[in-house]
Amino acid sequence: MPTTEKHILNRLYVIAGLIFVFAVAVVVKLVSIQTVDGDKYRELASERTVKNFTIEPNRGNLYSDDGSLLATSVAKYDIRFDALAPNSENFEKHIKPLSDSMSVMFGKSSSYYQNLFRKARATKNRYMLLSRNLGYTDYIRVKSFPLFNLGPYKGGIIVEQETKREYPLGKIAKRSIGYDRLSNPVGLEGAFNQYLEGKEGHRLKQKIAKGQWKPITDYNEVEPQDGYDVVSTIDVNIQDIAHHALLAQLEKYKADHGCVVVMDVESGEVKAISNLGRTENGKYYEKLNYAVGESHEPGSTFKLMSVIAALEDKVVDTNYVVDTEKGILTFYNRYKVRDSKWGGYGKISLSEAFERSSNTGIVKVIDKFYGDDPKRFVNRLYNMRLNEPLGLAIKGEGEPFIPHPNDKERWSGIALPWMAYGYGVQMTPLQILTFYNAIANNGVMVKPRLIKEVKEWNRTVMKFDKEVINSSICSQETIDKVKALLKNVVEKDHGTGHKLYSPNFSMAGKTGTAQKNYAAKDRQKLQYISSFAGFFPADSPKYSCIVVIHEPDKSVGIYGADVSGPVFKRVAQKIYTDSPVIDTVKDLEKPNPSVEEKYRAYYSKVQNHSNIIPDVEGMSGMDAVSILENLGVKVKVVGNGKVRKQSVKSGSKINKGQTIVLQLS
Amino acid sequence: MRNRVIQQIDWLSILLYFALVFIGWLNIYSTTMTDENPTIFNFDQPYGRQLIFIGLSVLLIIFVLAIETKFYARFSSVIYLISLASLLGLFVFGKNINGATSWYNFGSFGLQPSEFAKAATALALAKFLSDIQTNINDFKDQLRAFLIIILPPLFIIPQPDPGSALVYTSFFFVLYREGLPSYYLLVGLTAVILFVSTLLFGAIWVIAGLLILATIFVLYRKRKKIRIPVFKMLVMTTTAILFCLSVRYVFENVFEQRHRDRFNLWLRLEHDPSKLNEIRKTIGYNTYQSESAIGSGGLTGKGFLEGTRTKGNFVPEQHTDYIFSTVGEEWGFLGSAGVIILFSLLILRILFLAERQRSQFSRIYGYSVASILLFHFAINIGMVIGLLPTIGIPLPFFSYGGSGLWGFTILLFIFIRLDANRRDDWM
Repeated sequence: MPTTEKHILNRLYVIAGLIFVFAVAVVVKLVSIQTVDGDKYRELASERTVKNFTIEPNRGNLYSDDGSLLATSVAKYDIRFDALAPNSENFEKHIKPLSDSMSVMFGKSSSYYQNLFRKARATKNRYMLLSRNLGYTDYIRVKSFPLFNLGPYKGGIIVEQETKREYPLGKIAKRSIGYDRLSNPVGLEGAFNQYLEGKEGHRLKQKIAKGQWKPITDYNEVEPQDGYDVVSTIDVNIQDIAHHALLAQLEKYKADHGCVVVMDVESGEVKAISNLGRTENGKYYEKLNYAVGESHEPGSTFKLMSVIAALEDKVVDTNYVVDTEKGILTFYNRYKVRDSKWGGYGKISLSEAFERSSNTGIVKVIDKFYGDDPKRFVNRLYNMRLNEPLGLAIKGEGEPFIPHPNDKERWSGIALPWMAYGYGVQMTPLQILTFYNAIANNGVMVKPRLIKEVKEWNRTVMKFDKEVINSSICSQETIDKVKALLKNVVEKDHGTGHKLYSPNFSMAGKTGTAQKNYAAKDRQKLQYISSFAGFFPADSPKYSCIVVIHEPDKSVGIYGADVSGPVFKRVAQKIYTDSPVIDTVKDLEKPNPSVEEKYRAYYSKVQNHSNIIPDVEGMSGMDAVSILENLGVKVKVVGNGKVRKQSVKSGSKINKGQTIVLQLS
Repeated sequence: MRNRVIQQIDWLSILLYFALVFIGWLNIYSTTMTDENPTIFNFDQPYGRQLIFIGLSVLLIIFVLAIETKFYARFSSVIYLISLASLLGLFVFGKNINGATSWYNFGSFGLQPSEFAKAATALALAKFLSDIQTNINDFKDQLRAFLIIILPPLFIIPQPDPGSALVYTSFFFVLYREGLPSYYLLVGLTAVILFVSTLLFGAIWVIAGLLILATIFVLYRKRKKIRIPVFKMLVMTTTAILFCLSVRYVFENVFEQRHRDRFNLWLRLEHDPSKLNEIRKTIGYNTYQSESAIGSGGLTGKGFLEGTRTKGNFVPEQHTDYIFSTVGEEWGFLGSAGVIILFSLLILRILFLAERQRSQFSRIYGYSVASILLFHFAINIGMVIGLLPTIGIPLPFFSYGGSGLWGFTILLFIFIRLDANRRDDWM
């Protein structure tokens, strides 16, 4: 084969062709992995190499109104042991003292721990659990044990720190304080979550080996922000009572959910707030903040607003007589307003209509005097700011709704009569309570407060002082009138709340039994909302309170006085009995002569009769037993009260182990 | 003399050389730089050491350029023999690094004789082929040429360093250019194609395909009324079929598991995705990681010193054989393409220079240089981007390592020296 010019050129082309094919392959492959599959690889690369680690912030503390700690975050330590980390020399040298130390601290025998460590080493356990949830001081102590004090690499101690939420009050108000679940904290923890939770920090870390990540920079990309401390207005004792009273009623009536709120009349501080909802297995838990978030038709508790409007406009007075018309009022030949008592109450005064909670009575009055000018009525309600949310410092407040005649879409011919007894309007329990509280507070409407202060260490971040929404919602005259009405609801025999009456303490309030799902064709779906709102003591109110229970079992009971009232009563009663009656102890410095006298007698006997039986006749049994037993005599007691007779005469010598029988009366 | 060298020297090649070396060093710096040691003159770190190697290359270049052209032709046999001896000496004095006895150890650094053997072989082959008495079409001379080419790899394979040994196949391109009958190349290419396709599709399909091709060929020749060399056809087809049938056996019994794994991964012979994943994480780990690195670079890359996978040391041996993955991650497609263009320019420049040589010796040597560089370049980049199975050879001028850099520098600059002297060559 001759190697001519042309021949060589052909060969070059062959080689060039091969190179070209390869070059195309390279480019295709490069394009494919860098642009076509690029996203996949980029994702892979960022996931595998650099990861954004979340740094959990420390949750803030939660305090009650008197500054006692309700919830706090505490560091807890788990101690584990890497049995292969220590070398055999160290292991053998320290295993005995280590086991002794463990034994002293945790109680089990030293040999038990020695076996445990040896077994772990034999089975090559590198992650043996020794103790969980140790406090800081205990952790420091364990760390100083022989072997462990050599550190993690030589001593094999593995420490895992975890922040745990602690509730120092233990079971008291535990459920109301709630718990800090990851996704959705409930109870007070949930209500104040926006302040307590803080903000997550972020730190970019890079993978350097399997399971090992090294921070990229010396600082955190986003510093975590610890949660604030919240000083709440909650009184733990009232909270506990309210919670359990509500729970008991919910269980008794197998209701779907309910809430109770107790408010300090003058300051607007919420002393207790409890929301319980039924779970599938019939138990009740803090589910949602119904008191703050759930707007519903209030029903009869709204009659107070209607009556106040009418009284304030002076269109009517409490002694105005209204015909309840056999318990049924019909509008447009179709829409009926019924009284709960079949046949109605006949002709009664407006006050009695209110006290009996006569739907027809109230509706008739309002319809008669405002039927021509519903705007006047609604404006009066608006004037009292019933249509505006309270603007709470916690999230999730429900919107109130009261239609206005100018709003053609929502206003209808029956809107006014329906509104008169609490239908076609919506308010949250807390909004209703705020109104009742304003009545108790002589017309000064204060904003409910759940939080006194939000703090960061000792620095105040936010301070919530008493805030007056409306300094006078109506005239004092009207206030006095409706206060009397509310008091009568409980005190008068015909009052719907008379069942709650107690001669020991006074309270005032209004029952409410609203229908729910009344539009449904299926009567089975008809449910009730039972509520009770009011304040106590009736004459100089200190606290206001509302209880709302949704969907009680119809076969057990539906009426506000039966379902919700007892919760209210229980709270009132408890606060009465817990509050010291200031009159009884006049002067602590002044000795009580009778007590002094008794004590002197007791003391002289103890002093004088060291070896003879004293005369204990006429002494209280408790003192007598105490004296005699101190002298080394066995005492038998029959009956109770004061000592009537002693079996061994006074003045006789004491024999060791002697038994004396005391007859008490 | 000196002045003439400087006047006639091909500055473009030198420029390309320094560009590649500089870019290569930047990537080594990015790959091995740690936050604790950011200074470039840290000689404990690869980037610092590479800086020394580059400095010494400059001395080598001056040395290579200073030597008379005639020296290279005249002493090529001696150089070749010394090179062979140095390879043999490894069996006695060699130091084992990473399981391969490829290095002579001089205190803190080592020399890898196989990197220099390429230049020596190229010189010897050029000398032999340029001899007036050598006829490449003569079978005996073909054998002698093959012997020159095959001796060094024979000593390199047992080190073991099969990658470096494989580089010597690139000399067949040179032989081809110099008139080696086409059927050598044809047979070689056919063998590779048959081998790969048999692994891919199975012997039966490939044999069926062969028979169909043969039939078409026969029918075509008949229509054109061309006489068919029946016997030749028969022998060729039978050999091909036997080859196909033997592929499976060779693959299963002659190859070792690690070789099989590489093929399994490359040709996606393993269809079970979980097993494929397993292979990816073990045998294919390097390729997988380097593909991920390059892939994550995208069009423009993450920027110098910004490659997270490079910084995270995900790609093993990234500063040596896998240096191109740093380019891919930090400079993206554009950067990779730029590097490929620079390499192509250099190789094309060498081919162009080779063609204009008057002396056969210089021309053959030039072709050898271009072939070796091309082979290294293609195999390395093909491996890094997962186009070819894993064959461990460095990327010329880029990969970290003194011996490699000096080997290629000597290889290239001997040719530049020869080229600078082309007008005086009437040899």
